[in-house]
Amino acid sequence: MAEEVNVEELKQKVLEYLAKKPWQVRDLAKVLRVKKRELDKIVQELINEGKATYWSSGSTTYVTTPEKLEEMEKKRSEMGAAE
Amino acid sequence: MPVVDGVELPETPLLDELEKGPWPSFVKEIKRAAIEQEKAMKAGKKIKLPGSAKGLLKVLELAYKEKRTHWKHGGIVSVIGYGGGVIGRYCDLEDKVPEVWHFHTIRVNMPAGWFYTTKALRALCDAWEKWGSGLTNFHGSTGDIILLGTRTEHLQPMANALAYLDKFYGSPAPFDIGGSGSDLRTPSCCMGPSLCEFACYDTLKACYEFTMRYQNELHRPMWPYKFKIKCAGCPNDCIASKARADFAIIGTWKDEIQIDQEAVREYAKVIDIEEHVVKKCPTKAISWDGKELKIDNKNCIRCMHCINVMPKALKPGKERGATILIGGKAPFVDGAIIGWVAVPFIPENELIEKCCEILEAIWEWWDEEGKFRERVGELIWRKGMDEFLKVIGQKADVRMVYAPRNNPFIFWRELNP
Ligand code: HEM
Ligand code: HEM
Ligand code: SF4
Ligand code: SF4
Repeated sequence: MAEEVNVEELKQKVLEYLAKKPWQVRDLAKVLRVKKRELDKIVQELINEGKATYWSSGSTTYVTTPEKLEEMEKKRSEMGAAE
Repeated sequence: MPVVDGVELPETPLLDELEKGPWPSFVKEIKRAAIEQEKAMKAGKKIKLPGSAKGLLKVLELAYKEKRTHWKHGGIVSVIGYGGGVIGRYCDLEDKVPEVWHFHTIRVNMPAGWFYTTKALRALCDAWEKWGSGLTNFHGSTGDIILLGTRTEHLQPMANALAYLDKFYGSPAPFDIGGSGSDLRTPSCCMGPSLCEFACYDTLKACYEFTMRYQNELHRPMWPYKFKIKCAGCPNDCIASKARADFAIIGTWKDEIQIDQEAVREYAKVIDIEEHVVKKCPTKAISWDGKELKIDNKNCIRCMHCINVMPKALKPGKERGATILIGGKAPFVDGAIIGWVAVPFIPENELIEKCCEILEAIWEWWDEEGKFRERVGELIWRKGMDEFLKVIGQKADVRMVYAPRNNPFIFWRELNP
């Protein structure tokens, strides 16, 4: 059971990070000091649950929260021609 | 404004130049799309992106005039649960040409071997006419069907339309989004045994199996960079897998080229066998005395030349399977890098399982060791073939040697410190 609590805790922590900015799982794994493979699994679960989502720079894929994604897209459409 | 078929098109003097000449022209096609779209609207069809093909003409004309691009990279991948297959692109002229402000590309997983019924094609086009620009690219360099240009809010509905293309658009089968970014790109294959007698294994089946088994890898980018699998039925390699795929599976045979001597003699009446076959064999493995053709199969390097010249007389051997080549890629700057032999021969009946085993071992290693944007071939250069062979559980083999050493006075370690 102890293990499950840990996974839940890690999930929460991952979500906090994802809410701040889009991450590449590889880099986030380094920051959180977990195996990338383990983090991949957690991120997939979060995506399946709708709590995390993908964001792409055009050719590179990042993961973030749906809220952060919406905020970024809103900023983009407001910036419009000024960019 | 020029009017064609009752549809007004923008003035595009520069683009019009590209319609001249006997060859196909993308300008002609974009104009056709603009006309078709407007006709569809007049016929009362629902169109979400009116004027998008016209808008594209305007942006292109402007870009040619100003000699600069108005496109921008980046952005959302907003099909739920998918991290690839949608490529966000924007135009910086939303005030002047709002029709193409968002112009995202969708990749659609093509059927193995690119076989369609007209019904499926119509359904795809109907869905895309509704939710996008109606412009397509059959096919992109990855092999996917490319749907060119739609807005962010139409991505999810278009993905849904593809997933239910059978139910709502009359397609014989639904479609799925393809790969992009750092994922497994949509696997592709030559038409193989469906139409080609040279096929040494079932390329379509292999392609289908990899696609179905690796859905997660295809739709959810998590690797250092992209990874491409291409299946060619024989060394003719009609899908150019050796130059374009990280993992190329190329059909071959172990035993002897099958010869029908009677048919060879028939060819001798119409072609000069000495000139066009014997002399062209790269390893000089063929001899012909006017009655009988002999092949020294130990020295045949499976170049396919003799078989291609006399397909009625020569056939690949009976003991068939495939060779695995690793590390091919086609970057625009340095030109194509040809894959090299990783596994010399896998028999046909073990091929798919064995490939999956090797693929999974490679992915685990590359995901762990690869740097950001490092293809698996580059990782092998960095780490060495020795380490790679351990990863895939293979012994070094003379057939993996890229080129024989030709200067006894150079010690290779000094060249590669
Ligand atoms: C003079 C104009 C153009 C030339 C010479 C050109 C040429 C090419 C070539 C050679 C490829 C690779 C195709 C393949 O290997 O299958 C390609 C791919 C592509 N083209 Fe064009 N193209 C032109 C205009 C356009 C325009 C106007 C668009 C968009 C409206 C476009 C969108 C694309 C896309 C999205 C791909 C990539 C497909 C993929 O992802 O695999 N191209 N183009
Ligand atoms: C200065 C202009 C541009 C440059 C230098 C450029 C460069 C590139 C490069 C290097 C790639 C390959 C990325 C990879 O290896 O993963 C790429 C992919 C692509 N580009 Fe561009 N590009 C330009 C403009 C455009 C425009 C205007 C569009 C569409 C409106 C476009 C659509 C695409 C698409 C659909 C892909 C495929 C993405 C993928 O493979 O995941 N590009 N481009
Ligand atoms: S690669 Fe070989 S088997 Fe496949 S279509 Fe070409 S000639 Fe036929
Ligand atoms: S396949 Fe090529 S190498 Fe082999 S015998 Fe024919 S021409 Fe020679």
